[in-house]
Amino acid sequence: MKNDTPLLEVKNLDVRFAVRGGDLTALRGISFSLDKGERLGLVGESGAGKSVAAFSILNLIARPGYIAGGQILFEGRDLAAMGERELRRIRGNRIAMIFQDPMMTLNPVLSIGTQMVEALKAHRRISTKAAREIALSKLRKVQIPSPEKRLDQYPHELSGGMRQRVIIAIALLLDPEIIVADEPTTALDVTIQAEIMALLLDLCEQEHVALMLITHDLGVVSQVTQRMLVMYSGRIIEQGPTREIINDAQHPYTQGLINALPQMGEPGARLFQIPGSMPSLKNVPTGCPFHPRCKFATDQCRQTMPEYVRSGNVDVACYEVSNLIEQEKRMQEAGS
Amino acid sequence: MTSPLVDIRGLEKRFDLSGSLLEQITFKNGRFQRRQEAVHAINGVDLQVYKGEALCVVGESGCGKSTVARTVMGLLSPSAGEVHYDGQRIDDLKGQQVLPYRRKMQMIFQNPYASLNPRMTIQQTLEEPIHFHRPELSRNEVRSKVREVMESVGIDADWGSRFGHEFSGGQRQRIAIARALAVDPEFIVADEPISALDVSIQAQVLNLLMDAQETRNLTYLFITHDLAVVEHFGTRVAVMYLGRVCELAQTATLFSEPRHPYTQALLSAIPRLEDDRPNYIRLQGEVPTPVNLPSGCVFHGRCPYANERCRQEIPRLIATDGGNQVACHAVEEGRL
Repeated sequence: MKNDTPLLEVKNLDVRFAVRGGDLTALRGISFSLDKGERLGLVGESGAGKSVAAFSILNLIARPGYIAGGQILFEGRDLAAMGERELRRIRGNRIAMIFQDPMMTLNPVLSIGTQMVEALKAHRRISTKAAREIALSKLRKVQIPSPEKRLDQYPHELSGGMRQRVIIAIALLLDPEIIVADEPTTALDVTIQAEIMALLLDLCEQEHVALMLITHDLGVVSQVTQRMLVMYSGRIIEQGPTREIINDAQHPYTQGLINALPQMGEPGARLFQIPGSMPSLKNVPTGCPFHPRCKFATDQCRQTMPEYVRSGNVDVACYEVSNLIEQEKRMQEAGS
Repeated sequence: MTSPLVDIRGLEKRFDLSGSLLEQITFKNGRFQRRQEAVHAINGVDLQVYKGEALCVVGESGCGKSTVARTVMGLLSPSAGEVHYDGQRIDDLKGQQVLPYRRKMQMIFQNPYASLNPRMTIQQTLEEPIHFHRPELSRNEVRSKVREVMESVGIDADWGSRFGHEFSGGQRQRIAIARALAVDPEFIVADEPISALDVSIQAQVLNLLMDAQETRNLTYLFITHDLAVVEHFGTRVAVMYLGRVCELAQTATLFSEPRHPYTQALLSAIPRLEDDRPNYIRLQGEVPTPVNLPSGCVFHGRCPYANERCRQEIPRLIATDGGNQVACHAVEEGRL
């Protein structure tokens, strides 16, 4: 499935927030790519920069935030350098977004149908009647019961799960290339979450849409995505195939995150815990941002930021891992 | 079996929606009508909490689990039913009579950003309950007590002069736990204590709660929607749906052999790390509104095994093998 040029390629992206007393770096040297029809998970705890990463893909970073460097190449064109008018042709149209809270996304005073028609008309020259037809077909696709009725209903008349289905239908309206979903099920109950995730996965496969899923839930990432990125303090610290990372995480933070899950521990036993908490952007430690919480930290970790090394198909930014790989190499050489 | 520490009998709680008498009266078709509506949050819950155990109450939003917690604590008065603590009925106690029970029962809330008074230093926050419940203690004794609880939850005792906003979410929840522990309670009601926290912090707080249970011989009533946490933490689990307990079982049994169709669906919806796809039992429809409860079994509208009896008759909790209880006609009749 791997094409030569990916659909979306983010290169060395830096995002900063200009605040009193200097800039805060929210994203530092983010690089990743997304192929056509691929599902990518973005994992991290609050403050890691996952949402900023998602927003910056659509160049939606609002002041005081700004893109300080790097490129966001979508079909070869740089969104970071694009004008507002051109961007508008891509946002919602080629790249759609789904947010966490469906009530915040939908306009409470417009009916579902009006909002869907509005989105279509913003991007296409199309009659209202034809737009309603398309809207109806998308509502059917997200398996909403009695879709004709829903077109004339208002958001408050729908349940949380139903609203999120409407949001997905709106995201699909213009047959986008990429859907960016920022914690789409965090506000929902588990049974509804399972339904919405299954739906999103099915639709992405059927329509061959690429999905960028931002979540803190490793279980969801493992069920839905093919590749994943783990973010910590504005950096990608590990990225690679989801299965490989879940089964054998390399970075001590990723390992900690997985082992801290109650489902990993013996019932009743103490859970594995990472000491401390993520640093605030105001005082990111020098070197590897994880070093104050890491049991493998050395002076090297405290002073310089580790480069990515490859282990299997996974890229990891950790000196401990790179040292282990070096050691293994030397052992093999000595052996042969 | 020994007598329970907390005994909840036939608990019901309704929240009136219809307002004052004048608001209830409408004029329709030439006639005045009086209309009364209520949210039926809890509809007959019987639960016993035994000394030293952690009884978890799980369910999706709107199932009444938080209302149970608040009614047990006396923050809400029940519409019907009784709450007994150590053999004494406590839900009808007034004024001074409640005080000794308040000291023995403490509560931890979900959101540590809302549960700490922003205008009080941590020292003041932690001293207040001790002053209130143990006025006989001298200032020095109170101070040393505060130091002791702060250290026991892993907060530096020298930070007492700081305010809540100077701490991270995880630290705030530790402080909220310290406040509950400050009066040496026997019984703690924890309402979603880790839901607002990040994964790595959740593990820290869960460990803290388990340590406190061990060292202080605490009994927990633990309210949560997160089944993975329950599996790890709970001695027994009560699954609630629309204000009723549908299954009550030992944790290990509930997870290995769920009997009630709702429990089965709920368990199947947990995103597991080992899953490659969402893999769950699909329920029909959505949770009905607690304003107009369905007749018979509250779950019948979504249950694949529902028959005529389920639509008519409310199932009682019946004992199954192994001392567990389930409220389901299908299980009772051996159809399931």
